[in-house]
Amino acid sequence: MFIGAIGCEPLQLARVHLDNSTSLEVYREHGGYEALKKVLSGMSPDDVINEVKKSALRGRGGAGFPTGMKWSFVPKDSPKPKYVVCNADESEPGTFKDRYLMERDPHMLIEGMLIAAYALSAKVNYIYTRGEYRYLIEIMDRALGEARGAGLLGKNILDSDFSSEIYTHTGAGAYICGEETALLSSLEGMRGHPRMKPPFPAVSGLYASPTVVNNVETLTAVPDIIKLGGEAYQKLGTEKSGGTKLWSVSGHVNRPGVYELPMGYDDMEKFIMEDCGGMLNGGKLKAVIPGGSSVYIMRADQIIGKDVRMDYEGLVAGGSSVGSGGFIVMDESVDIFESTRNLTEFYKHESCGWCTPCREGTDWLVKVFRRVADGGGRPEDAQLMLDLCDNIEGKSFCPLGDAAAWPIQSAIKRFPEDFKKHLVGTNGTGQAANS
Amino acid sequence: MSTEVIKVTINGKAFEVPKGARLIDVCRDKAFDIPSFCYYSDLALQASCRMCLVRIEKMPKLQTSCTIICTDGMVVTTQSDEIEKAQRSMLEFLLANHPLDCPVCDRGGECELQEITFDWGGLEERFTEEKNYYPERYLSPIVANDPQRCILCKRCTRVCDEWMGEDAIEAGGRGANTVIGTYGGWLDCSQCGNCIEVCPTGTLLDGTYRHQARPWELTQTISTCTYCSDGCQMSLGSRGGELMRVVARDRYVNGLNGEFLCIKGRFGHPFVNHEARIRTPLIRYKKGGKLIPATWDEAIRHVAQKLDAVVDEHGRNALGVIGSPRITNEANYLLYKFATELVGTNNYTSTDAHSLKPFFGNLGTSLATHRDIRYAKTILIIGGEPEELQPLTAKQVRQAVRNGGARLVVINSTPIRLVEQAAQFIHIRPGAEEAAVLALANNSNDALTVQKLGIQATELQSLRDTIAKTEGDLIIMFAAELSAAAQAVVAQLPYALRASGRRVLLHPLPLYNNSIGAHDMGLMNGAMSATQMFDGAGDTIRAIYLAGSFLPEQLQGHKDALSKLDFLVVQELFETATTAFADVVLPAASFAEIDGTYTNNDGFVQRVRQSIPPVHQSRSDWMITAQLALELGMDFKFELSASAVFREIAERVPAYAGLRYPVLKDESNPVQAKYAIAEQRDLSSELSALREAVQALPETGDKLTVTPEVGHELFKIGTLTDKVPQFHLLAAGNPRPETVRVSPLYQIGSKS
Repeated sequence: MFIGAIGCEPLQLARVHLDNSTSLEVYREHGGYEALKKVLSGMSPDDVINEVKKSALRGRGGAGFPTGMKWSFVPKDSPKPKYVVCNADESEPGTFKDRYLMERDPHMLIEGMLIAAYALSAKVNYIYTRGEYRYLIEIMDRALGEARGAGLLGKNILDSDFSSEIYTHTGAGAYICGEETALLSSLEGMRGHPRMKPPFPAVSGLYASPTVVNNVETLTAVPDIIKLGGEAYQKLGTEKSGGTKLWSVSGHVNRPGVYELPMGYDDMEKFIMEDCGGMLNGGKLKAVIPGGSSVYIMRADQIIGKDVRMDYEGLVAGGSSVGSGGFIVMDESVDIFESTRNLTEFYKHESCGWCTPCREGTDWLVKVFRRVADGGGRPEDAQLMLDLCDNIEGKSFCPLGDAAAWPIQSAIKRFPEDFKKHLVGTNGTGQAANS
Repeated sequence: MSTEVIKVTINGKAFEVPKGARLIDVCRDKAFDIPSFCYYSDLALQASCRMCLVRIEKMPKLQTSCTIICTDGMVVTTQSDEIEKAQRSMLEFLLANHPLDCPVCDRGGECELQEITFDWGGLEERFTEEKNYYPERYLSPIVANDPQRCILCKRCTRVCDEWMGEDAIEAGGRGANTVIGTYGGWLDCSQCGNCIEVCPTGTLLDGTYRHQARPWELTQTISTCTYCSDGCQMSLGSRGGELMRVVARDRYVNGLNGEFLCIKGRFGHPFVNHEARIRTPLIRYKKGGKLIPATWDEAIRHVAQKLDAVVDEHGRNALGVIGSPRITNEANYLLYKFATELVGTNNYTSTDAHSLKPFFGNLGTSLATHRDIRYAKTILIIGGEPEELQPLTAKQVRQAVRNGGARLVVINSTPIRLVEQAAQFIHIRPGAEEAAVLALANNSNDALTVQKLGIQATELQSLRDTIAKTEGDLIIMFAAELSAAAQAVVAQLPYALRASGRRVLLHPLPLYNNSIGAHDMGLMNGAMSATQMFDGAGDTIRAIYLAGSFLPEQLQGHKDALSKLDFLVVQELFETATTAFADVVLPAASFAEIDGTYTNNDGFVQRVRQSIPPVHQSRSDWMITAQLALELGMDFKFELSASAVFREIAERVPAYAGLRYPVLKDESNPVQAKYAIAEQRDLSSELSALREAVQALPETGDKLTVTPEVGHELFKIGTLTDKVPQFHLLAAGNPRPETVRVSPLYQIGSKS
């Protein structure tokens, strides 16, 4: 398993290899909390937001919304308390970068959150982790304790006027709680259901107060932005996608792992075939899901010889998107019908049940997949599945409905042969074998 | 909503709408029908059914019209191929796991899912897979549940939370396995059944009416509830002379309560056709003998002779006539007329121990309506427990706080459930309500009142600050059994507390459906109260003509008073502790069998309508009185027309001037009686009486610190609720039966 940077100096992964990388001592030895010191000794909150704007940092959770802009939406004159909430509910299939950041470099997250809290005048901040990451809470809490002890957290941080506290909180293991408003509902102690937008969290989020919800990787990018300066950070990447990005590589490659690439890294083919050590057992590339399971699946011929650039614009041009950076590589041994079925089971299981199309649509889709897998396929099922996806897409309450539809739509369109062979139905009845 | 007007274009037509209007309401108002399940006026937005999708120019996706506030220049399309496909697909999704067992579903025929499917759905079903399955079950003796039929619109969980403040049901599970359920597997709540009412499908069902009838077999009759003073409008569903169910469903009735009813209104009706109803007139020929069935002619003749004899022998005032806060205005009016015009006795009253006469005599403002309560800015409740005794008022208060941002101040010796919504709770000593009234009147007695109330002076200050800051309506409710002086002071408070931009309204909280009507009919003008008549029984009072019964607690200590009477005639539905002393019992018809009016705590005069013919030989109370009068030689000349009685009421009672049954026809526009507004007057004698009363209050006495259990009043067994088996289970603590698959009635023995 490879963890490191390719094509750039490691920023996010700069300390993960060090012994005792989770300790405050090691973090400080390697430049830790210097950014916070810089911020507290002379930068105004607006200066911080401006640097982040200049950095062209885009949210690393999946939607890629410009972070500086998100921060600037928080109304400064609101009499309500403001909150910074770290979304560590990393639940997107194929994504495991936040976990490494928290496991190996928790102070980087704390420093990033404190800088964000300073920029937004937040006194209380939360780290919301998924239930399955409970063990990370211990690491985070230990780091928070160290920081508190060293005057880096709590009252009068670094002897300044700035006071801010960070608390950890675990969810109970629901994919929906990675959606920012559902996360806030869960954090408030309610059922993890998404909320209506508008009002957006920046105006009315946690406890109906202005709230910024950022992904772990987004917040951990902040100290480097301050240290390097927004412009310099942006220049590491492209004009619209600044800095570096972590990719969680899994599947049929020789060297899976967490890769830090500069935004705009040239050529996905090279990345797979060289950086990731090539295909496992000399297999032939069949498909790549580049940004976590909710993005369009790519055919090999959309990658080989196509110079797909690895940033937001490049991947859209290449026929998919960056998403969360969960990079899943599949060789010819994979039946895309089966892999899509597996994903659909996931979306059905994780649909929160709030809105009709996602709740009933994913349930129906799974039932069709199961029937087809059981030998009861009908030629018209492909059309049925596409129509069901169309009826979910754009009509669900939150974006997760779209996220369930896209992988199926792209799989059926891009791998029709894999579906065709199931849809003829091995038992010829058009019914599941056991019904 | 502001008065500013903006322009929106819907389907190519331009409209002017008030700024802040909600798109779905605007579309429906302009006759562009939009289907929806989860949208429900004045509940938190849900936007989950996705039925109300529309296209708005410049927005990337279809939008839910329930979440959109109209903006100037908005261009909306509600009908297009794209929208039609979306609507069809949502219904297709909703029906995928819906069992489609309409032929055996109680909601079949009045189901919103059925109707919207007919109007907006596709023709064919593409879903051929197996449906998800959940067994049917009972959630309580009253609420049955078929989770398969649920479309998860969550109206039920929202009314439970927002209307009732109970939060007794919530969704459990996730995704397509989401099921509406209870905490702990058994529904522990006030059993109002509003979740059943607002359910658009047959998921939550009336457990008392389950599989009893199909909706189209029922004749729906709009009437007024016969339990508390809120006067909820309801629809009585009857079939073949039997009252089958009560609903407030807005397809049948649209009253001040919307679709709200409480457990008593909705489920308390089985007494109507109960086998214990008195079937014929009964005569006890000898004191201590048995009540023996008789014909009406015989009974009326017997009563007339006996009353005649008493008056002849002991004088007119020896006959006491007692009406009831539970019978119609028509019935009470005829009793008043009987007493004053025919007999000429000074001794007439109502069984209601608490007269509101001093309040109405000093009334300095109009009564607050339930709508006023919903939109009030400050609500002050002195004493009482509306959650249990006037549930609609409690719901309006809750919504005023939750949805309207009103400030609620509760003055009570008990932390009642509404305290949860209160901005301020003034926790007073038991019985110290009068001191609170004195403190409201002015601040010159603060040292005394603070001491007697057992509170801090700052609490009064904060209450006065709240009042002083109120812009909009300030509503003062009082439920305590206040003395005459305190009632007068409360009634005059509006003069002291109103200000420019602040209206002060009063809302009395009497206990019974027609407490106010009984006052209006003049029954409280008599010389004696019921208790005074007890004291004079066998002496100054020799005979009593009574409609209804005394409460068992009223009779406590007065039982032999009734036996001292020469003659007692009672009009009743059931044999009671009172009829045990009666010489003649005349079978009265229940509210479901008669025409008439009740006057509620808003002062609304509302119609009671006949849903079924009188059961057995029972007769309307006022007809019995008229017939007795005829036998005694006076023809009231109303024939069989309740409307004629009401016409005479309207001519004689100034507050009812101009009212006629046709004026009261539309339950959605209730008519308020025009009570005379008393001028502001010098209250020094009342205030000094009040001060004396407050001075006499003890300075000790423990405040009750435990919030009373839900249902401690609602589930109480009275003469009427005694006839509903489910109430017995609830009164016994609502035990969870062995299995939830079968009605608990069949598993746990109950009294009836």
